[in-house]
Amino acid sequence: MPGFICIAVLATMLSAYSGASSSEGNSPVQPVKFRHTIHVDTLKMNCLYCHFAANKSFDPGLPAMSTCMGCHTVVQGTTDDNKAEIQKLAGFWKKSEPVPWIRIHKLPEYVHFPHMRHVNAGVTCQTCHGQIQTMKQVYQASSLNMGWCVNCHIGQSNPPFRARYDCSACHY
Amino acid sequence: MSTEQYASPTAAAAPNGVKRREFLKVLGVSTAATTMLGCTQEKVERLIPYLVSPDQTVPGVSNYYATTCRECSAGCGVIAETRDGRTIKLEGNPEHPVNRGALCARGQAALQGLYNPDRYRGPMARKNGQLQPVSWDEALQIFSQKLGETRSRGGAGNAVFINQHESGSFAGFLDAWLAAFGMPPHLSYDAAGDHAVIAANRQTYGVSWPRLDFRAARLVVSIGADFLDSWGAMVPQQLDFAEARADHENALRLIYVGPRRSLTGLNADQWIDCRPGSEMAIVQLLGGRTSAQAASQATGVSEAVLDAFAREFASTTPSIVIAGGGGADGLEVALAANALNSRGGAIKSNEGYLGFDRMASPAELRALATRMNTGGVSLLMVRGANPAFTLPKSVGFAEAMARVPFKVSFSSYPDETSELADLILPDHHSLEQWGDAEPIRGTISLQQPAMDPVFDTRATSDVLIAIAKKDPANAARYQVADYRTWLISRFPGGAATLNAALPRGFASGSLAEPPTARPVPAVHATAPIEQSSGNMYLVVYPHPFIGDGRGANKPWLQEIPDPVTKICWQTVAEMNPATAERMGLANGDLVTVRTAAGSLTLPVLRYPGIQRDTVAIGTGRGHTHAGRYAKAGLNPLEILPIGENRAGGVAFVSTKANVTKAGGYAQIVTTEGSARQHGRGIGQAIAIADLRAGRPGFDSGNAHASEIAQNGGPETPAGERPEAGAENGEEMPGDASHAFLPGLRSPVANDAEGEQGDPRSNDKGMYDPKHWSGMAKRRWAMTVDLARCTGCAACVSACYAENNIPTVGADWQVGKVLPDRTGFGANLLRSREMAWIRIERYYEGPGGEDGTANFDTRFVPMMCQHCGNAPCEPVCPVYATYHSPDGLNVQVYNRCVGTRYCSNNCPYKVRYFNWFGYGEPARPQYAFPEPLNWQLNPDVTVRGKGVMEKCSFCVQRIREAENRATLEKRALKPDEFTTACAASCPSRAIVFGDAADENWTVTQLAKDARAYHVFEELNTYTAVVYLKKVTHATPAGRA
Repeated sequence: MPGFICIAVLATMLSAYSGASSSEGNSPVQPVKFRHTIHVDTLKMNCLYCHFAANKSFDPGLPAMSTCMGCHTVVQGTTDDNKAEIQKLAGFWKKSEPVPWIRIHKLPEYVHFPHMRHVNAGVTCQTCHGQIQTMKQVYQASSLNMGWCVNCHIGQSNPPFRARYDCSACHY
Repeated sequence: MSTEQYASPTAAAAPNGVKRREFLKVLGVSTAATTMLGCTQEKVERLIPYLVSPDQTVPGVSNYYATTCRECSAGCGVIAETRDGRTIKLEGNPEHPVNRGALCARGQAALQGLYNPDRYRGPMARKNGQLQPVSWDEALQIFSQKLGETRSRGGAGNAVFINQHESGSFAGFLDAWLAAFGMPPHLSYDAAGDHAVIAANRQTYGVSWPRLDFRAARLVVSIGADFLDSWGAMVPQQLDFAEARADHENALRLIYVGPRRSLTGLNADQWIDCRPGSEMAIVQLLGGRTSAQAASQATGVSEAVLDAFAREFASTTPSIVIAGGGGADGLEVALAANALNSRGGAIKSNEGYLGFDRMASPAELRALATRMNTGGVSLLMVRGANPAFTLPKSVGFAEAMARVPFKVSFSSYPDETSELADLILPDHHSLEQWGDAEPIRGTISLQQPAMDPVFDTRATSDVLIAIAKKDPANAARYQVADYRTWLISRFPGGAATLNAALPRGFASGSLAEPPTARPVPAVHATAPIEQSSGNMYLVVYPHPFIGDGRGANKPWLQEIPDPVTKICWQTVAEMNPATAERMGLANGDLVTVRTAAGSLTLPVLRYPGIQRDTVAIGTGRGHTHAGRYAKAGLNPLEILPIGENRAGGVAFVSTKANVTKAGGYAQIVTTEGSARQHGRGIGQAIAIADLRAGRPGFDSGNAHASEIAQNGGPETPAGERPEAGAENGEEMPGDASHAFLPGLRSPVANDAEGEQGDPRSNDKGMYDPKHWSGMAKRRWAMTVDLARCTGCAACVSACYAENNIPTVGADWQVGKVLPDRTGFGANLLRSREMAWIRIERYYEGPGGEDGTANFDTRFVPMMCQHCGNAPCEPVCPVYATYHSPDGLNVQVYNRCVGTRYCSNNCPYKVRYFNWFGYGEPARPQYAFPEPLNWQLNPDVTVRGKGVMEKCSFCVQRIREAENRATLEKRALKPDEFTTACAASCPSRAIVFGDAADENWTVTQLAKDARAYHVFEELNTYTAVVYLKKVTHATPAGRA
């Protein structure tokens, strides 16, 4: 029994270190509590307003501090919590320090994932990233495992997509 | 944005003092608990946003800046691809009139200069005998102070500024600045300049470097003029030459005359191996002023050969005769050669290259050294030149520098000259600063920064402006804020025209010429070579990549084997095989080469392209102070006595040497397996007469050729064996080579088109062009035209740049556990080179080992052939390599476990294994010490230890082009993009594209009569089609 536990533990440890590990559900606390609920759900902002490169590049694009301050030099927030977070943001801006966001979605470096192909093919952001507009704190909604990706590429999604599915689509 | 990594806190260690079983239980549970706490063992990665997004920059999408290459004096236009603020790749500017889209190996390697790990990080000043980092304020203060002191002591007239030779406005700007401080005009120095030829050209044609119109010539005689070896304006010369040769019907014949068969010589149809110093006899023979018999006595070449040569020259027009100025009589030979060019219009003096005007000669620098020795120089300033290394040691430049009271270097890199300086004000790299050039008349080539400076350096032009502003007498004259403003103010048409021209990289117009012509120097004449003592002639020649030494600290240029000798990271003494045999010298045996100026001990390399009584050594290596890579090899300039030709250039072939066996042995660092094909048919050729007649022709390099020609390949069905003879109206017999579409999957694969596949397989239909996913619509293929390839290895350099290929030859990249090899090139001794494309060089013909000059050379660029029936694919135990539906042999790096069975099975040996962690920063063999890793292409995975890699047909470029086309809602245009190797090639030898689409060029080329596949008898169905080299062994008009 102890032997079995050790092997099971070893397997868990190895899978934790391997690139195939799933961070599904991972939801770190960010340095500034940015609320997608307010910006996307209430204010109906387009994802591409901030993540401007998602339809042009492999990289989705992280909004620059100036994008935030474009509104938040004026918008100070309504609730006390919101006001505090906006002040935190303004503090970073005044010190000319970028906010060090914690990365949530990461694919291994040997995978080349082109955001713009997916966005332009009609795959909504929510398909992979979940219902972001309902997330007070962003969590990884999908496993982002290879099997999960391939599922869609071979036409098993609903509605089905047609995409290249051989290895050289992403691995090169 | 960037990412940073922080480790999360880990769980506590297990307690002590418990029984083993209990210990394991507790350890297991506590570790399990830790891992179940939500991946706390994983590192936390940060995403750092910009404060303000840079304008017009999309992360992950490259910006392209047109600028000018400064790696040599030609002035080619380059497009610098910059990704997220870092320049990652250079391409030739397709619209630039000089290089028309091509870029040589040295141009590609410019990035390794930009990101060189040994670059000066900032200004340095000598304090207590040591160079110490200082701030710019302090450095400028010191410079100003010293300038003031020099002037107040009346020494301004004795200040000397040596600048790297470059065409453009900076020369005039610099002279004006010097004049403002009472200092004489600068010396514009390029150690690679061929002064004899420049002077002769000026005298004969009125221009320093005319354009040679190879298309207008039927015969070219090169007397040591290595126009394909980085001599002169190499890229346009190579472009013109390859185009001329590609027109087979009208192609010229090239005859090379000289004691050493350089790369240009290997591309020649005939080599006349004259003794060093006897070139004048050849010129006189061609001019009809001496007999073949007399010339034979002078040169050591047989009378019959010389007689035939003279007859051919007399009867062939138009012809071009060009001479290189390597010998003591270089100027006289060049003048006499030029005089033979009066017939035909093949010398285009009105289209000449202006990059070679106004160069200061080595004679002037030797005179400067003498002045320095007698205390005649008050202040020495050097920028972009390394005279302490690039002049023969016998000139004593380094020792003379010690007598100058104050020395300033603007060098970006440590080198032998800058290490002697008292103050270092490091210049920007050419990719970091503004400038201009006029490479050909009427075209201004623009230079702009492609990225922010890597280190705390400043453009010398800006430093000079800053110094001038500090000087009360001159401040009024230098009102501009910086050099860029100054350039804009002078630009014909002003700022608006400049801005409009900048994206293209060049504009019409002309820059004002500096008024002063260079004075004729007093030269240190050399006695004729026959009067020196020694048992062999010594030929010192410039290495085609490393040149005068400026490329020595760039690992790509050290590792890409010299196309002629296939040597890397090493200096060797090249000797004729028959001579070496007579002296009892095998490859690697050490010899001592002794001249009046010194001696070197180095290994012998047997090379059939060396005249019998000659030993040849290449320059550029053997640095003492030029960085971590540059220490490899030896410097032949240490043993060259002072000697100049009458134009003031160094006479590299001026003396004999005593060559004696030194005892001992060093391994030759080479990537060459065998110099002969042994009938394998790798580099095939066809004689021009056979090509015209449609005959298959005989080729000694391919033992199978006649057999295949007669009977077809092994898989040709019996009923389909072709009848011999073109008279039957058929194609050339043995056309199995293009009977199938290159890029096609093998007929036995699970392919909709092949009935031999397994009908139950899930992959059935995957390779069908009509498959619903559209994956199999394209069939990527490549043609390599051996009639165009000159072996220059620009493709190799481009591939290194594009695909993050590690260099493995540095002396710290050896194994730690079993270091059985040490020193530079150790890994190459174990055949661990990583170049995805290599140039194979085979000799054909009877000559070579028996000492005769009669051999043909085949250059074969060899990369992964992307076989349709690949031997490497079925043997991978983990399916890390497979055939993609669009015709690529794909290597999936993360699946690879490192069995190396694939490499074992590959008949072309084009698979390369990461024996060490060349791509892993934490490992000692890391090939990209900071900031070389800034150059890495983010679109290509950096491979770790234990992973197999190989040419991918630049799949990242394929996907990028497909992505772009999809985004723009259109199909790919034919020839819309190409691979890195094909893009860079100045011979345009490589063509890549979709062989399934008639509109792509590659499809037409693959059907050429000269097409063949390497090892086609193995049924590998390669997607790479080679086109046979066309030989012109006999003068045109004769059978």
